[in-house]
Amino acid sequence: MQISSPPVTVSLLVGALTLMCVSVVQAAPNTFNTALPVAQGQTIWREQLVFRERSDDGPMDREVSVRVLGSVLGYGITSKLAVFGVVPHFFDKVLDVTTPMGRIERDAGGIGDVSLFGRYTAYQHDFTGGTFRVAPLLGFTAPTGESSDRDRFGELPRPLQVGDGAWDGFTGVVTTYQTLHYQVDGQLLYRENGRHDGFARGDETRLDASLQYRVWPLSLDGVSGTPGFTYALLESSLVHRERNDIVSGTDANSGGTQWLLAPGLQYITRRWVFEATVQLPVAEDPDGDAIQDDYIVRVGFRRNF
Amino acid sequence: MFKKCCLMLAALVLSAAALAAETRYVLGVDGLACPFCAYGIEKRLTKVEGVTDVQVDVGESVVRVTLEDGKTLSEAQARQAINEAGFTLRSYAEAESDRGGSDAN
Repeated sequence: MQISSPPVTVSLLVGALTLMCVSVVQAAPNTFNTALPVAQGQTIWREQLVFRERSDDGPMDREVSVRVLGSVLGYGITSKLAVFGVVPHFFDKVLDVTTPMGRIERDAGGIGDVSLFGRYTAYQHDFTGGTFRVAPLLGFTAPTGESSDRDRFGELPRPLQVGDGAWDGFTGVVTTYQTLHYQVDGQLLYRENGRHDGFARGDETRLDASLQYRVWPLSLDGVSGTPGFTYALLESSLVHRERNDIVSGTDANSGGTQWLLAPGLQYITRRWVFEATVQLPVAEDPDGDAIQDDYIVRVGFRRNF
Repeated sequence: MFKKCCLMLAALVLSAAALAAETRYVLGVDGLACPFCAYGIEKRLTKVEGVTDVQVDVGESVVRVTLEDGKTLSEAQARQAINEAGFTLRSYAEAESDRGGSDAN
């Protein structure tokens, strides 16, 4: 996907979301997990459309545009243990790169690597009008996506493939402090990526934080029942990626550290959540000419069953 | 005669309504702070036999439960349903009137 005018596109997406007249729902981060409960026997369905633009400052002037739909199903086995499945569907993943032949475009698409994880609420302190919870999570990513896709130039570069061909594992902990007025979430997550056919994506460590502040209704005085809440969001993601492993060693132009901030909006009812954020880089320290995020737009919804 | 018939009819209707009165409970719930979470409570409580209506008041952290005539909701049942939804039962009370009852606090 090529977005010629990012600020306009972003404004249109956020504008479209805020204009949606739907009655709704629960606050939770848009860019990572939450420790909020999934009731026993309850199913949560989440769809999130992600537009991601990446580039580097190297001589190849690489630009990567990704359009992916992330589908998530969560189920409460007990009030404390919930399991989630994540299926990414790449509409396209396009690389524009300068080569000796000139500027070329290569692209991949299809179902990516599917993840499954479990989350257990290990600590819970409920009080009137609020809660504090801590929940470790553990999961894996299966090599369900194509990892040897080809085009007229030959096999696509491994990082461009929609799958990495390897089993990956991840673990972390997520905390949530929620009151009627605001919610603060934090997440520490480590992902170890497996090796397949001489390639392994660099392992990833990330620290995320999110503040959701209720902006409507401003006051709950005199408001009965379960009204829809509108939250303003501000999320922070500090991500460190190791270099990719390749056959000859490590790729010097991969990995690094990046800090992104994401303002956004969220509308919540009993059954629905509608949400949108725009993640923007604040600081970055890439390894070599590693590709880094320029922006990530996320628009999606959640539904209770 | 007509007046007597009317009075008897009214008495009959009122007594039948009284006999068919629903049972209502007010549950105080800790940990509840958003609408999306409220649905889990509704879902668990509506599985309890005889429950006809569940109203969650997020701002007051209370849940009003209505049961059909002759059915009851014990504190243990309420606690289990609230726990299964991922929350904590703070208080339990049978409402005095059939217009939503009083705050369990």
